[in-house]
Amino acid sequence: MAYRIQRIPSAPPSVAFAARGAAIVLALVTAGIVLAALGFNPLALGWQVLRTTFGSSYGLEDVGLLVIPLIFTGLSVAVGQKIGAQNIGAEGQFYAGAFAATGVALFVPGPTALILPLMFVAGAVGGLVWILVPTLARAYADVNELITTLLLNFVATLMVYWVATGPWLDPSGRALATTARLPHEVPEFWGIVHWGLPVAVVVVLLVAALFAFTRWGYEVRVAGSNPQAARYAGMPFRRHLIVVMLLSGAIAGLAGMFEVAGTVHRLQGGISNNFGYLGIMVAVLARSSPIGVLPAAALMAVILNSGIVLQTQGITVSTVLAITGLILFYTAIGDELARYRIVRG
Amino acid sequence: MDIIAGIIQTSILAGGVLALAALGEVLAERVGVVNLGVEGLMALGAVTGIATVVATPNPMLGFALAMVVGFFFGMVFAATTVYLRANQVLCGLALTLMGTGMAATIGRAYSGTPAPATFPPIAIPYLSDIPLLGRALFTQNILVYLIYIILPVALHWLMFRTKHGLDMRAVGENPAAADAAGIPVNAMRFWYVSAGAALAAGAGAYLTLAFVPSWSEGVVAGRGWIAVSLVIFAGYRPINAVAAALLFGIITSLGFVGQARNWPIPSPILSMLPYLGTIAMIIVPVLAWQRMRRLMAAPAALGEPYFRDVR
Repeated sequence: MAYRIQRIPSAPPSVAFAARGAAIVLALVTAGIVLAALGFNPLALGWQVLRTTFGSSYGLEDVGLLVIPLIFTGLSVAVGQKIGAQNIGAEGQFYAGAFAATGVALFVPGPTALILPLMFVAGAVGGLVWILVPTLARAYADVNELITTLLLNFVATLMVYWVATGPWLDPSGRALATTARLPHEVPEFWGIVHWGLPVAVVVVLLVAALFAFTRWGYEVRVAGSNPQAARYAGMPFRRHLIVVMLLSGAIAGLAGMFEVAGTVHRLQGGISNNFGYLGIMVAVLARSSPIGVLPAAALMAVILNSGIVLQTQGITVSTVLAITGLILFYTAIGDELARYRIVRG
Repeated sequence: MDIIAGIIQTSILAGGVLALAALGEVLAERVGVVNLGVEGLMALGAVTGIATVVATPNPMLGFALAMVVGFFFGMVFAATTVYLRANQVLCGLALTLMGTGMAATIGRAYSGTPAPATFPPIAIPYLSDIPLLGRALFTQNILVYLIYIILPVALHWLMFRTKHGLDMRAVGENPAAADAAGIPVNAMRFWYVSAGAALAAGAGAYLTLAFVPSWSEGVVAGRGWIAVSLVIFAGYRPINAVAAALLFGIITSLGFVGQARNWPIPSPILSMLPYLGTIAMIIVPVLAWQRMRRLMAAPAALGEPYFRDVR
């Protein structure tokens, strides 16, 4: 009766799901222990978080607003991973999309019904332009996109900070470091939640359908899981890679567009709230599945909102960031452990 | 002429931070592990350094404690990626989030206060009297000599001139073959990744104890990521990594000079220079010298966990 541990190539979904749940719970327990050591009462905090988030429509509206950019950035990262590209520059593409959409809103005259779609396109193009150089460098010179996309985040952050405090600064002089309020905005449909939410869901469904039902989607999935096989089968790997990466950037740009057009209504430094980086976590939690992005983004939005509640209780943004990192860390471990099983023999 | 000496002096200081972190990453990547937690490790090192000198005004102790903290977090990262074989990219990102978050939480108490003690410059006799460049090159703090001369030469010798270095590189190139040859693959990975993390945290302490010298949230400002990129540019070689970091320091200090002398370029644009410079530095060489690709190639098993039973 000897037992041994066996590793299997991929975990069965139920085990993987359980491992995810356990990882998140364990991360929260660890964070609770640390908070308790710092003199907070973790149980009271937890209760406060649950009550504020789910106990009123305000809490749910906040979550509904936070989930919009998370769906887009999470989808952006997940799309890239379909072909094995690690786009960790969603943060920068978010800023580029917000920048381009703001430019259209501020400088193109016209009725809102016309300008909003134009801002939508501008947001997507902004994100696409921002990932263009990393995409071409990866496709033609095999330069690791992980690094190039990431470094461009810093450039985009500085660019937005510069225009919001310099050339595009609110001319009325009332605001310190933002542009003027945008003359066009995405209408709201439930409390403070705007139409970006249904649009985000539609984009997710479209992208999911693209991967699931088209020949292109099939080829991309094959290329992502086995580039060699894709090459031997005569699939244009490079072309697929370029299209997928540009799509990834465009989707992240939409996150920025909806943030300025629907939520913040101004362009300002720090507008992304780390949504680009959190998108990586959303994609990980979704296991790179476009549909999976929806529940993963919802979970992430609840965690984020909890973070905001925690801040009212005297816990800083950075502590929340550390807890988020902890969850990601435990998830990575849980994912690996889910692949092991104990067999007799 | 003073301005040139000033640029060189700042370049050496700014490049030193990156060089130390990049040397740590060279160690980790040569044994086959990508550590994307450098940014977080640097933040932890930076806050450890400042917290120590506030408690006891001894920068050497601050630097040493930062390395101990880095080593500890490196061991946690290495245990999960090497022994548990969890995804290296995810764990690295997680380490960065945790490190920056923890450092900012701890650092709030020290925010904005200048470091009460820093590494003093040491003038090397005679050499520092050389006109023009003597002061800039030979009146630096002790870490500069360690980072630019002692460490890279020692690591180069270790990696390319000893049997142990051959084993080390074998672990990163072909762990299965190394294992068959009796090299303890996982132990080798574990210790080098941890040591690399200690250097990264040391780089953070160098930042707050010699270069900036104060703590503020976001003081690391992407330097960890730049260090990771420099390793690629340097072809995973210690001496190249230090040279690349110095080149980088020059770009950074040009930005500083521009700000100080009121060049008609907005300061956020000047602040973009290091990031744009890095991107150019990792793209241009592969395009310009196709033949360099093989020479500069990453260790073959980089990023892949090693399973003895799955060959």
